[in-house]
Amino acid sequence: MFDLAVVSQILWTSFATSSYFVLFAVAFALVLKVNKVFNFAQAGVMTCGFYAAYVGVRMLNLPGYAGFMLGIAGGVAMSFVLEYFGFAVLRQRKASAMFVFIFTLIASQFIAYAVMMIFGTWPTTIFASMFWPVTLVGGIAVSAWDMPAITATVTVLAALWAFLKYSRNGQFMLAVADNADLAELYGIQKDRILMMSMLLAGVIVSIGMFLYGTRAQVQASAATELMLFAVAATILGGIGNIWGAAIAAVVLGVVQNSSILFIPSAWQGFLLFAFLFFAIVLFPSGFRLPERRNTLKRTVVAPQALTDGKGH
Amino acid sequence: MTKQWGLKSTVGLALALALTTGVTAQQTSYKFGLAMPLTGGQATYGNDQVKAAEWAVDEINKKGGINGKKLEMIVLDTQADPQVGIQAVNRMISVDKVAVFVTAWSGVVKAVAPIANDNKVVELSVGANSPDISQLGDYVYTTFPLADVDIRAVANYSAKDMGKKKAAVLFINNETGIGSATVYRDTFTKAGGQVVAYEAYDQKATDFTGPLLKIRAANPEIIHLQGLVAESPQVIAQARQLGITVPITSYSGIYNQKLIEQLGAAAENVIATSLAPGVEDSPLVKDYVDRWVKDVGRAPNGLPYTQYLYDAPALIAAVFTSLDKKGITPTGENFRKEMLAIKSFDLPLTGKITFSEDHTVNKPVYLVEVKNGKWTKKAVVGQ
Amino acid sequence: MDYVFTILILIGLFVILASSFDLVIGHCGLISIAHPIFYAIGAYISAMLSKQSGMPIPLSILCGGVGALLASALVAVPALRVSGDYLLIASIGFQLGLIELAKHFHEIGGAGGLTNIPSFLIKDFGRESYVVLVLVLAAATVLFIRWLTQGPYGRMMTAMRDDELAFSMLGRNAIWVKVAVFAIGSGIAGIAGGLYAHYFRFLEPDQFGLLQSSAVLTMVVVGGMRTTMGPVIGAIVLQLMPQIITFFNLPPSILGPLQGLLFTGLVLFFMFVRPQGLLPAADLWAGRNRDGDAGHSRKEARS
Repeated sequence: MFDLAVVSQILWTSFATSSYFVLFAVAFALVLKVNKVFNFAQAGVMTCGFYAAYVGVRMLNLPGYAGFMLGIAGGVAMSFVLEYFGFAVLRQRKASAMFVFIFTLIASQFIAYAVMMIFGTWPTTIFASMFWPVTLVGGIAVSAWDMPAITATVTVLAALWAFLKYSRNGQFMLAVADNADLAELYGIQKDRILMMSMLLAGVIVSIGMFLYGTRAQVQASAATELMLFAVAATILGGIGNIWGAAIAAVVLGVVQNSSILFIPSAWQGFLLFAFLFFAIVLFPSGFRLPERRNTLKRTVVAPQALTDGKGH
Repeated sequence: MTKQWGLKSTVGLALALALTTGVTAQQTSYKFGLAMPLTGGQATYGNDQVKAAEWAVDEINKKGGINGKKLEMIVLDTQADPQVGIQAVNRMISVDKVAVFVTAWSGVVKAVAPIANDNKVVELSVGANSPDISQLGDYVYTTFPLADVDIRAVANYSAKDMGKKKAAVLFINNETGIGSATVYRDTFTKAGGQVVAYEAYDQKATDFTGPLLKIRAANPEIIHLQGLVAESPQVIAQARQLGITVPITSYSGIYNQKLIEQLGAAAENVIATSLAPGVEDSPLVKDYVDRWVKDVGRAPNGLPYTQYLYDAPALIAAVFTSLDKKGITPTGENFRKEMLAIKSFDLPLTGKITFSEDHTVNKPVYLVEVKNGKWTKKAVVGQ
Repeated sequence: MDYVFTILILIGLFVILASSFDLVIGHCGLISIAHPIFYAIGAYISAMLSKQSGMPIPLSILCGGVGALLASALVAVPALRVSGDYLLIASIGFQLGLIELAKHFHEIGGAGGLTNIPSFLIKDFGRESYVVLVLVLAAATVLFIRWLTQGPYGRMMTAMRDDELAFSMLGRNAIWVKVAVFAIGSGIAGIAGGLYAHYFRFLEPDQFGLLQSSAVLTMVVVGGMRTTMGPVIGAIVLQLMPQIITFFNLPPSILGPLQGLLFTGLVLFFMFVRPQGLLPAADLWAGRNRDGDAGHSRKEARS
């Protein structure tokens, strides 16, 4: 089974299909980092994003890109509702983390039931067809879905990185993530920033669900299962580390699919839990990317005595 | 003070409701229960099956019911969950006092069997196919052929009639998947073929490249897929994308129009089993499907299962009618005796059914294939 | 009557579950939703021991409880060494992972479930006896937890919940308190699991997943955390409500989702309008950023 063609095919397809997982993980990690909330209600946002796109394409017969925009609108709308009527209120009341967590769990179930009542439970895709034509690239089957998915994911990640690094609001977000109260003292409107991060997460997961829903069937309960992967990736990537979560999502996806080369296919699903278990026990803070050293570079050789004292 | 009131009134209200319903239950109609998943992951099938049963009950009542008396169906949700199913069935037996009930989904069927047996109420399993259903007790009967029947048929057909010597089996890693895959492998091998690949995939998997590549490497002449409706289309799509062009067989789960919409040309050479006659086999079935398309706007989900659910009230009505004519009280015990006495029933959408000593039923298996973008009849096995 | 008996037994079992869960998340402040898995562990251990090795059922139920207790320590010790929040993820992972694992082992029935579990008491004394047994044990659990939390241990837990740093500075080991409470709560859940197994006589791994976590959580939150009768009321209300809804003769296609909507809607309503639950624990909304209030110890003596 260690045939080069087989291995490269598995690597390619699992890399492509990890695209939506990366988006789900990044969104979850973002909200965890900035809002300090384990947002399990993200499943509800994902469901709304999917069904909004579904309504657009299948029921209103809009073209693909319009459905895409509608999907994002749906996800963002639900994020807004959750933040404005949910998290903000609970924050005001200084609710405990337990309470907020219970809220996210119940909210996602509520959304799932509402969706079930409106759309039924039949699994469905965004486009009527889920078959994407394939071209062979050096013996590897590359489907017409793969490249757009990867491109979309990379674009989103790049945009997020640029936003966090260069835009004012992005930097405000990092400030709030670091120390929300201190940020407020500096004049940053905490509530506005927290809302922004939720909306941003809503955009990201809606894109992710559009990718997923054009390739696989979705029903009201599907998002909860996808979330599991996102949470695992966030833990493995390190709580507070968005890019770690992204990398972890890719690694998890590829490893899980490649595992078939080594273990019986029946155990693939269990692998995820095994990873999670080991991660929690051995690497509680996640795999840390090497920290950038912010020390000044010494260009002058200091006398021995001084360096010993400073010791960095 | 308020909290005491709250507690007492809640409990009181509940008990009052429970008792009232019991007291006001009428005895001038014939009742049976239907415990199906109305919510949860299986509800898509469950709801359509309930609808089919409702149509059947309406038809029966329109034609005069049970010697002029109304046939009533009590529908409760099981969520395809054993515990919820137990409560639903308990309710039907204790409160509604049914003599017989219909249920499906192997987990529920097994979980409520002790209740049926203990209370001497007939449990009709319609649609579940776990082989141990035939051993669940005196009062548990199935009107739907159990797991082995359709898988055995397609395995034998592939080996003998289609002349395939090498087969691969791809199955979902759950009870039905594993059980059916084993049956296929054993039957195919016994029929002279060789199973060259035998791969499972996880229930949560969204990417099947690994198992499919393993199968491709083994070079089978035919592949048998045993998955769920949720992911089977994707598996087939990915198989075709990876260049696997051999026929793919599966059970009736994929036998619906949507598959062709979803896969387009990739659906060619997909063969499904069906345990009920299709539109080409019977005009009654054609009328039934036409009615679905007219009234509901689509074909039913899991057509063959809905056919069985349409026929279940017919079977129950036949037994009730017989009991009524003879003036026997419709208790569970009497229902069972009468059902076994009549033994063979001719049902509108699924044909003849005969109850046997070992609680199993045998039915012909219809094989359908996607040819030129349409489901066409391929063969009938075991007539 | 079986219908009523089953409801009473389920109420009893959920009272045990909700009370023990309240001990863990309410009194001790541990964030975990994996309670059902210890319910499952107790159920499976009791079922397998009595079925395979013919162990007398009371003993096997006890073993189930002990098994659940030990398993919970297995989860809590590594997780709590990191932080309280980490226990949440660890416990969810443990719950879902164990369910997944259970589906792979055909010796315990696999995904299809474990059937033919030996029954207890019913053949000799009838169903009423089992109802009595469960309700008595439910009352005993509630009283035990009340005793535990009203006494010195309760004050210790409150102190720890209030300010863990100060607590440890006083020389108390917060981690061991948490592990111990988690273990006790889970052990009780395990015993409830055994009781469940020998009445319903069928177990399936999937029934102990997140949906049941949600249900137990709802009971505690709606009933009122950290009160004696809160979880009891929560269990009763949330077991009876779905049954009552089924009497309204709604069309089947919307009955299901509507029930779920009403259920979760009710919880959301409670969370925002009356967050302290039906029975308030007076200290819950004292305006501080963590649960707890300086004056609570006086008020709590009331409930």
